[in-house]
Amino acid sequence: MSWLGEFEEELRARHVRPAVRECLVAELADHIACEQEASPTQVATQLGAPREIAGQCAEELAAHDARHVAVGAFLALAAAGLVFLVQQATLARTGYPDVNHGYSGALALIAILAFVVGAQVALVCGVLAAWRAVRRWGVPVLPAAEIALLRRRTTIALGAGLVTTTGLLLYVVNFLAVMPAWWLALSGTLAAGATVALAVSLHTLRQGGSTLALAEGPAGDLYDDIPPLRALRPHPLVLWALATLVVGGVVTVAAWHAEHSLVEGLERGGFEVLALSAGFALFGRAIGARR
Amino acid sequence: MRAEALKGHLDGLILATLAAGPAHGYAIAQALRTRSDGAFELPEGTLYPALHRLERAGLVASEWSTQAGRRRRTYRLTRAGEQGLADRRREWGILSRAIEAVLA
Repeated sequence: MSWLGEFEEELRARHVRPAVRECLVAELADHIACEQEASPTQVATQLGAPREIAGQCAEELAAHDARHVAVGAFLALAAAGLVFLVQQATLARTGYPDVNHGYSGALALIAILAFVVGAQVALVCGVLAAWRAVRRWGVPVLPAAEIALLRRRTTIALGAGLVTTTGLLLYVVNFLAVMPAWWLALSGTLAAGATVALAVSLHTLRQGGSTLALAEGPAGDLYDDIPPLRALRPHPLVLWALATLVVGGVVTVAAWHAEHSLVEGLERGGFEVLALSAGFALFGRAIGARR
Repeated sequence: MRAEALKGHLDGLILATLAAGPAHGYAIAQALRTRSDGAFELPEGTLYPALHRLERAGLVASEWSTQAGRRRRTYRLTRAGEQGLADRRREWGILSRAIEAVLA
Protein backbone atom coordinates (compact mmCIF):
# COMPACT_ATOMS: atom_id res chain seq x y z
CA MET A 1 0.00 0.00 0.00
CA SER A 2 1.24 3.52 -0.76
CA TRP A 3 2.27 5.92 2.00
CA LEU A 4 -0.85 8.01 1.38
CA GLY A 5 -3.11 4.95 1.33
CA GLU A 6 -1.69 3.78 4.63
CA PHE A 7 -2.01 7.27 6.11
CA GLU A 8 -5.64 7.50 5.07
CA GLU A 9 -6.36 4.06 6.51
CA GLU A 10 -4.81 5.08 9.82
CA LEU A 11 -6.91 8.24 9.93
CA ARG A 12 -10.01 6.19 9.16
CA ALA A 13 -9.10 3.69 11.89
CA ARG A 14 -8.94 6.61 14.35
CA HIS A 15 -12.39 7.78 13.15
CA VAL A 16 -11.08 11.17 12.07
CA ARG A 17 -13.94 13.14 10.49
CA PRO A 18 -14.11 12.77 6.68
CA ALA A 19 -13.67 16.51 6.04
CA VAL A 20 -10.49 16.69 8.16
CA ARG A 21 -9.24 13.42 6.69
CA GLU A 22 -9.70 14.70 3.18
CA CYS A 23 -7.79 17.93 3.97
CA LEU A 24 -4.86 16.06 5.51
CA VAL A 25 -4.63 13.56 2.66
CA ALA A 26 -4.74 16.35 0.04
CA GLU A 27 -2.00 18.29 1.85
CA LEU A 28 0.27 15.29 2.17
CA ALA A 29 -0.36 14.25 -1.44
CA ASP A 30 0.88 17.70 -2.45
CA HIS A 31 3.92 17.27 -0.17
CA ILE A 32 4.82 13.91 -1.72
CA ALA A 33 4.36 15.31 -5.24
CA CYS A 34 6.69 18.22 -4.37
CA GLU A 35 9.29 15.76 -3.04
CA GLN A 36 9.16 13.77 -6.26
CA GLU A 37 9.46 16.89 -8.39
CA ALA A 38 12.48 18.05 -6.36
CA SER A 39 14.32 14.70 -6.54
CA PRO A 40 12.75 12.21 -8.94
CA THR A 41 15.15 9.43 -7.87
CA GLN A 42 14.13 9.60 -4.21
CA VAL A 43 12.37 6.37 -3.31
CA ALA A 44 10.99 6.96 0.19
CA THR A 45 9.19 10.03 1.44
CA GLN A 46 10.68 11.92 4.39
CA LEU A 47 7.29 12.37 5.98
CA GLY A 48 7.86 9.70 8.64
CA ALA A 49 5.70 6.76 9.69
CA PRO A 50 2.07 7.18 8.52
CA ARG A 51 0.72 5.61 11.71
CA GLU A 52 2.57 8.11 13.90
CA ILE A 53 1.57 11.17 11.87
CA ALA A 54 -2.07 10.03 11.67
CA GLY A 55 -2.04 9.18 15.37
CA GLN A 56 -0.72 12.61 16.31
CA CYS A 57 -3.37 14.30 14.15
CA ALA A 58 -6.10 12.18 15.77
CA GLU A 59 -4.90 12.77 19.34
CA GLU A 60 -4.75 16.54 18.90
CA LEU A 61 -8.10 16.66 17.14
CA ALA A 62 -9.78 14.57 19.85
CA ALA A 63 -8.40 16.80 22.62
CA HIS A 64 -9.35 19.98 20.78
CA ASP A 65 -12.88 18.79 20.02
CA ALA A 66 -13.54 17.60 23.58
CA ARG A 67 -12.45 20.95 25.03
CA HIS A 68 -14.36 23.08 22.53
CA VAL A 69 -17.54 21.06 22.83
CA ALA A 70 -17.36 21.31 26.64
CA VAL A 71 -17.10 25.10 26.47
CA GLY A 72 -19.76 25.34 23.75
CA ALA A 73 -22.08 23.17 25.84
CA PHE A 74 -21.47 25.43 28.83
CA LEU A 75 -22.52 28.47 26.79
CA ALA A 76 -25.67 26.68 25.61
CA LEU A 77 -26.40 25.68 29.22
CA ALA A 78 -25.83 29.25 30.38
CA ALA A 79 -28.43 30.39 27.84
CA ALA A 80 -30.82 27.71 29.12
CA GLY A 81 -30.12 28.87 32.68
CA LEU A 82 -31.02 32.41 31.68
CA VAL A 83 -34.29 31.15 30.20
CA PHE A 84 -34.99 29.33 33.48
CA LEU A 85 -34.36 32.53 35.47
CA VAL A 86 -36.53 34.64 33.14
CA GLN A 87 -39.37 32.12 33.45
CA GLN A 88 -39.11 32.06 37.25
CA ALA A 89 -38.83 35.86 37.50
CA THR A 90 -41.88 36.41 35.27
CA LEU A 91 -43.79 33.73 37.19
CA ALA A 92 -43.05 35.62 40.38
CA ARG A 93 -44.67 38.69 38.76
CA THR A 94 -47.76 36.92 37.44
CA GLY A 95 -48.05 34.66 40.49
CA TYR A 96 -47.37 30.91 40.48
CA PRO A 97 -50.40 28.94 39.29
CA ASP A 98 -51.77 26.24 41.59
CA VAL A 99 -50.49 22.85 40.41
CA ASN A 100 -54.05 21.56 40.25
CA HIS A 101 -55.29 24.37 38.00
CA GLY A 102 -53.51 23.17 34.86
CA TYR A 103 -54.38 20.26 32.57
CA SER A 104 -52.90 17.77 35.00
CA GLY A 105 -51.49 17.98 38.50
CA ALA A 106 -49.19 15.03 37.79
CA LEU A 107 -47.85 16.72 34.63
CA ALA A 108 -47.16 19.89 36.61
CA LEU A 109 -45.22 17.94 39.25
CA ILE A 110 -43.21 16.06 36.61
CA ALA A 111 -42.37 19.38 34.91
CA ILE A 112 -41.31 21.00 38.19
CA LEU A 113 -39.23 17.96 39.19
CA ALA A 114 -37.57 17.96 35.75
CA PHE A 115 -36.53 21.59 35.78
CA VAL A 116 -35.57 21.76 39.45
CA VAL A 117 -33.40 18.62 39.45
CA GLY A 118 -32.24 18.86 35.82
CA ALA A 119 -31.01 22.42 36.26
CA GLN A 120 -28.84 21.46 39.24
CA VAL A 121 -27.27 18.43 37.54
CA ALA A 122 -26.65 20.51 34.39
CA LEU A 123 -25.07 23.29 36.42
CA VAL A 124 -22.68 21.02 38.32
CA CYS A 125 -21.64 18.86 35.35
CA GLY A 126 -21.52 21.77 32.89
CA VAL A 127 -19.29 23.83 35.18
CA LEU A 128 -17.01 20.84 35.87
CA ALA A 129 -16.69 20.04 32.15
CA ALA A 130 -15.99 23.65 31.16
CA TRP A 131 -13.57 24.14 34.06
CA ARG A 132 -11.57 21.06 33.08
CA ALA A 133 -11.56 22.21 29.43
CA VAL A 134 -10.29 25.67 30.39
CA ARG A 135 -7.69 24.25 32.77
CA ARG A 136 -6.32 22.05 29.99
CA TRP A 137 -6.71 24.62 27.19
CA GLY A 138 -3.82 24.61 24.76
CA VAL A 139 -2.41 21.24 25.87
CA PRO A 140 -1.96 19.53 22.47
CA VAL A 141 -2.56 15.93 23.57
CA LEU A 142 -4.70 14.76 26.49
CA PRO A 143 -4.87 11.18 27.84
CA ALA A 144 -7.74 9.21 26.32
CA ALA A 145 -9.16 8.70 29.83
CA GLU A 146 -9.26 12.45 30.41
CA ILE A 147 -11.00 13.07 27.08
CA ALA A 148 -13.55 10.42 28.05
CA LEU A 149 -14.11 12.18 31.40
CA LEU A 150 -14.64 15.51 29.62
CA ARG A 151 -17.11 13.93 27.21
CA ARG A 152 -19.02 12.19 30.02
CA ARG A 153 -19.37 15.40 31.99
CA THR A 154 -20.50 17.27 28.88
CA THR A 155 -22.97 14.55 27.90
CA ILE A 156 -24.55 14.43 31.36
CA ALA A 157 -24.71 18.24 31.51
CA LEU A 158 -26.40 18.49 28.12
CA GLY A 159 -28.78 15.62 28.91
CA ALA A 160 -29.77 17.29 32.18
CA GLY A 161 -30.09 20.61 30.35
CA LEU A 162 -32.50 19.03 27.91
CA VAL A 163 -34.49 17.54 30.80
CA THR A 164 -34.66 21.05 32.28
CA THR A 165 -35.89 22.79 29.11
CA THR A 166 -38.33 19.96 28.43
CA GLY A 167 -39.66 20.50 31.96
CA LEU A 168 -40.02 24.23 31.23
CA LEU A 169 -41.93 23.46 28.02
CA LEU A 170 -44.18 20.94 29.79
CA TYR A 171 -44.92 23.55 32.44
CA VAL A 172 -45.96 26.06 29.77
CA VAL A 173 -48.16 23.48 28.01
CA ASN A 174 -49.74 22.40 31.29
CA PHE A 175 -50.84 25.94 32.13
CA LEU A 176 -51.90 27.06 28.64
CA ALA A 177 -55.44 27.71 29.85
CA VAL A 178 -54.62 29.73 32.98
CA MET A 179 -51.49 31.80 32.28
CA PRO A 180 -51.46 35.15 30.39
CA ALA A 181 -50.80 34.91 26.65
CA TRP A 182 -47.66 37.12 26.85
CA TRP A 183 -46.13 34.82 29.48
CA LEU A 184 -46.96 31.67 27.48
CA ALA A 185 -45.44 33.18 24.31
CA LEU A 186 -42.30 34.44 26.07
CA SER A 187 -41.72 31.31 28.12
CA GLY A 188 -42.55 28.87 25.35
CA THR A 189 -40.37 30.61 22.76
CA LEU A 190 -37.38 30.93 25.08
CA ALA A 191 -37.62 27.34 26.31
CA ALA A 192 -37.96 26.02 22.75
CA GLY A 193 -34.94 28.09 21.66
CA ALA A 194 -32.86 26.79 24.58
CA THR A 195 -33.90 23.21 23.75
CA VAL A 196 -32.74 23.64 20.15
CA ALA A 197 -29.40 25.15 21.31
CA LEU A 198 -28.81 22.20 23.65
CA ALA A 199 -29.79 19.66 21.01
CA VAL A 200 -27.36 21.26 18.53
CA SER A 201 -24.64 21.14 21.19
CA LEU A 202 -25.36 17.46 21.84
CA HIS A 203 -25.19 16.74 18.12
CA THR A 204 -21.80 18.53 17.93
CA LEU A 205 -20.58 16.46 20.87
CA ARG A 206 -21.59 13.23 19.14
CA GLN A 207 -19.86 14.29 15.90
CA GLY A 208 -16.67 15.55 17.54
CA GLY A 209 -16.61 12.67 19.97
CA SER A 210 -16.00 10.11 17.28
CA THR A 211 -12.22 10.64 16.97
CA LEU A 212 -10.41 7.81 18.71
CA ALA A 213 -7.87 8.96 21.32
CA LEU A 214 -5.40 6.39 22.61
CA ALA A 215 -2.86 8.44 24.58
CA GLU A 216 -2.12 6.88 27.94
CA GLY A 217 -2.37 8.71 31.23
CA PRO A 218 -4.75 9.32 34.11
CA ALA A 219 -8.14 10.97 33.68
CA GLY A 220 -7.80 13.04 36.82
CA ASP A 221 -10.86 13.68 38.95
CA LEU A 222 -12.96 16.27 40.72
CA TYR A 223 -10.24 16.68 43.33
CA ASP A 224 -7.72 17.74 40.67
CA ASP A 225 -10.20 20.31 39.42
CA ILE A 226 -10.89 21.76 42.88
CA PRO A 227 -7.61 21.59 44.83
CA PRO A 228 -9.09 22.58 48.25
CA LEU A 229 -11.06 19.30 48.14
CA ARG A 230 -7.97 17.11 47.63
CA ALA A 231 -7.90 15.97 51.24
CA LEU A 232 -11.32 14.36 50.64
CA ARG A 233 -10.17 12.20 47.69
CA PRO A 234 -9.86 9.00 49.78
CA HIS A 235 -13.20 9.78 51.47
CA PRO A 236 -15.80 10.61 48.80
CA LEU A 237 -18.62 9.88 51.26
CA VAL A 238 -17.37 12.76 53.42
CA LEU A 239 -17.66 15.00 50.35
CA TRP A 240 -21.20 13.74 49.82
CA ALA A 241 -22.08 14.34 53.51
CA LEU A 242 -20.63 17.86 53.49
CA ALA A 243 -22.35 18.76 50.21
CA THR A 244 -25.75 17.51 51.36
CA LEU A 245 -25.34 19.28 54.70
CA VAL A 246 -24.42 22.62 53.12
CA VAL A 247 -26.87 22.54 50.20
CA GLY A 248 -29.70 21.01 52.24
CA GLY A 249 -29.13 23.57 55.00
CA VAL A 250 -29.07 26.53 52.63
CA VAL A 251 -32.25 25.40 50.84
CA THR A 252 -34.01 24.76 54.17
CA VAL A 253 -33.19 28.20 55.53
CA ALA A 254 -33.97 29.96 52.22
CA ALA A 255 -37.36 28.21 51.85
CA TRP A 256 -38.17 28.79 55.55
CA HIS A 257 -37.43 32.50 55.06
CA ALA A 258 -39.31 32.78 51.74
CA GLU A 259 -42.40 30.79 52.78
CA HIS A 260 -42.41 31.79 56.46
CA SER A 261 -42.79 28.10 57.29
CA LEU A 262 -40.18 25.85 58.92
CA VAL A 263 -42.10 22.75 57.76
CA GLU A 264 -41.98 23.96 54.14
CA GLY A 265 -38.26 24.70 54.58
CA LEU A 266 -37.55 21.23 55.94
CA GLU A 267 -39.55 19.60 53.13
CA ARG A 268 -37.62 21.41 50.43
CA GLY A 269 -34.30 20.91 52.23
CA GLY A 270 -35.06 17.19 52.59
CA PHE A 271 -35.94 16.94 48.91
CA GLU A 272 -32.67 18.67 48.04
CA VAL A 273 -30.70 16.18 50.15
CA LEU A 274 -32.47 13.29 48.41
CA ALA A 275 -31.86 14.76 44.95
CA LEU A 276 -28.19 15.43 45.70
CA SER A 277 -27.69 11.93 47.09
CA ALA A 278 -29.32 10.37 44.03
CA GLY A 279 -27.15 12.54 41.76
CA PHE A 280 -24.01 11.52 43.64
CA ALA A 281 -24.94 7.83 43.41
CA LEU A 282 -25.88 8.01 39.73
CA PHE A 283 -23.24 10.35 38.32
CA GLY A 284 -20.50 10.50 40.99
CA ARG A 285 -18.26 7.98 39.27
CA ALA A 286 -18.92 9.31 35.77
CA ILE A 287 -17.91 12.88 36.63
CA GLY A 288 -14.86 11.88 38.67
CA ALA A 289 -16.23 12.54 42.17
CA ARG A 290 -15.61 8.96 43.33
CA ARG A 291 -13.73 5.90 42.08
CA MET B 1 19.52 17.03 16.08
CA ARG B 2 16.79 14.56 17.02
CA ALA B 3 13.08 15.35 16.80
CA GLU B 4 12.85 14.90 20.58
CA ALA B 5 15.11 17.91 21.12
CA LEU B 6 12.78 20.05 19.04
CA LYS B 7 9.74 19.24 21.17
CA GLY B 8 8.22 22.46 22.40
CA HIS B 9 10.05 24.51 19.77
CA LEU B 10 8.44 23.27 16.58
CA ASP B 11 5.55 25.74 16.73
CA GLY B 12 7.94 28.66 17.13
CA LEU B 13 10.12 27.42 14.27
CA ILE B 14 7.11 27.18 11.97
CA LEU B 15 5.94 30.67 12.94
CA ALA B 16 9.44 32.02 12.28
CA THR B 17 9.48 30.35 8.86
CA LEU B 18 6.11 31.83 7.98
CA ALA B 19 7.29 35.28 9.07
CA ALA B 20 9.20 35.35 5.75
CA GLY B 21 5.92 34.96 3.86
CA PRO B 22 3.11 32.50 3.15
CA ALA B 23 4.18 28.94 2.35
CA HIS B 24 2.78 25.44 1.93
CA GLY B 25 3.85 22.43 4.01
CA TYR B 26 6.64 21.23 1.74
CA ALA B 27 8.08 24.75 1.39
CA ILE B 28 8.04 25.15 5.18
CA ALA B 29 9.89 21.84 5.58
CA GLN B 30 12.50 22.92 3.04
CA ALA B 31 12.92 26.33 4.65
CA LEU B 32 13.45 24.67 8.05
CA ARG B 33 16.03 22.34 6.55
CA THR B 34 17.88 25.14 4.72
CA ARG B 35 17.84 27.64 7.54
CA SER B 36 19.07 25.05 10.05
CA ASP B 37 21.77 23.77 7.65
CA GLY B 38 20.07 20.39 7.79
CA ALA B 39 20.50 20.15 11.56
CA PHE B 40 16.92 19.08 12.24
CA GLU B 41 16.22 15.38 11.65
CA LEU B 42 12.49 15.94 11.69
CA PRO B 43 10.01 13.55 10.06
CA GLU B 44 8.40 16.16 7.83
CA GLY B 45 4.94 14.74 8.41
CA THR B 46 5.02 16.06 11.99
CA LEU B 47 4.74 19.57 10.55
CA TYR B 48 1.12 18.99 9.57
CA PRO B 49 -0.38 18.28 13.01
CA ALA B 50 1.60 21.32 14.21
CA LEU B 51 0.27 23.52 11.38
CA HIS B 52 -3.30 22.41 12.13
CA ARG B 53 -2.75 23.08 15.83
CA LEU B 54 -1.44 26.58 15.07
CA GLU B 55 -4.41 27.23 12.82
CA ARG B 56 -6.87 26.11 15.51
CA ALA B 57 -5.10 28.46 17.91
CA GLY B 58 -5.56 31.31 15.41
CA LEU B 59 -1.80 31.84 14.98
CA VAL B 60 -1.80 30.93 11.29
CA ALA B 61 -4.47 30.98 8.61
CA SER B 62 -4.62 28.94 5.44
CA GLU B 63 -6.19 28.94 2.03
CA TRP B 64 -6.49 26.33 -0.67
CA SER B 65 -5.45 26.81 -4.26
CA THR B 66 -4.79 24.57 -7.25
CA GLN B 67 -1.18 24.20 -8.46
CA ALA B 68 -0.23 21.97 -11.39
CA GLY B 69 -3.59 20.22 -11.15
CA ARG B 70 -3.37 19.38 -7.47
CA ARG B 71 -4.78 21.01 -4.36
CA ARG B 72 -2.36 23.02 -2.23
CA ARG B 73 -2.87 24.54 1.21
CA THR B 74 -0.84 27.68 1.85
CA TYR B 75 -0.35 29.01 5.37
CA ARG B 76 0.33 32.56 6.52
CA LEU B 77 0.91 34.24 9.86
CA THR B 78 -2.01 36.06 11.44
CA ARG B 79 -1.72 39.12 13.68
CA ALA B 80 -1.95 36.81 16.70
CA GLY B 81 0.74 34.64 15.09
CA GLU B 82 3.09 37.64 14.79
CA GLN B 83 2.54 38.35 18.47
CA GLY B 84 3.00 34.67 19.31
CA LEU B 85 6.30 34.63 17.41
CA ALA B 86 7.51 37.74 19.24
CA ASP B 87 6.65 36.06 22.57
CA ARG B 88 8.47 32.88 21.60
CA ARG B 89 11.55 34.82 20.49
CA ARG B 90 11.64 36.66 23.80
CA GLU B 91 11.22 33.39 25.77
CA TRP B 92 13.92 31.70 23.71
CA GLY B 93 16.31 34.60 24.35
CA ILE B 94 15.84 34.23 28.10
CA LEU B 95 16.10 30.43 28.00
CA SER B 96 19.16 30.29 25.73
CA ARG B 97 21.02 32.91 27.78
CA ALA B 98 20.23 30.96 30.97
CA ILE B 99 21.34 27.63 29.48
CA GLU B 100 24.48 29.22 28.05
CA ALA B 101 25.31 30.69 31.45
CA VAL B 102 25.00 27.27 33.10
CA LEU B 103 26.75 25.24 30.40
CA ALA B 104 29.60 27.69 29.71
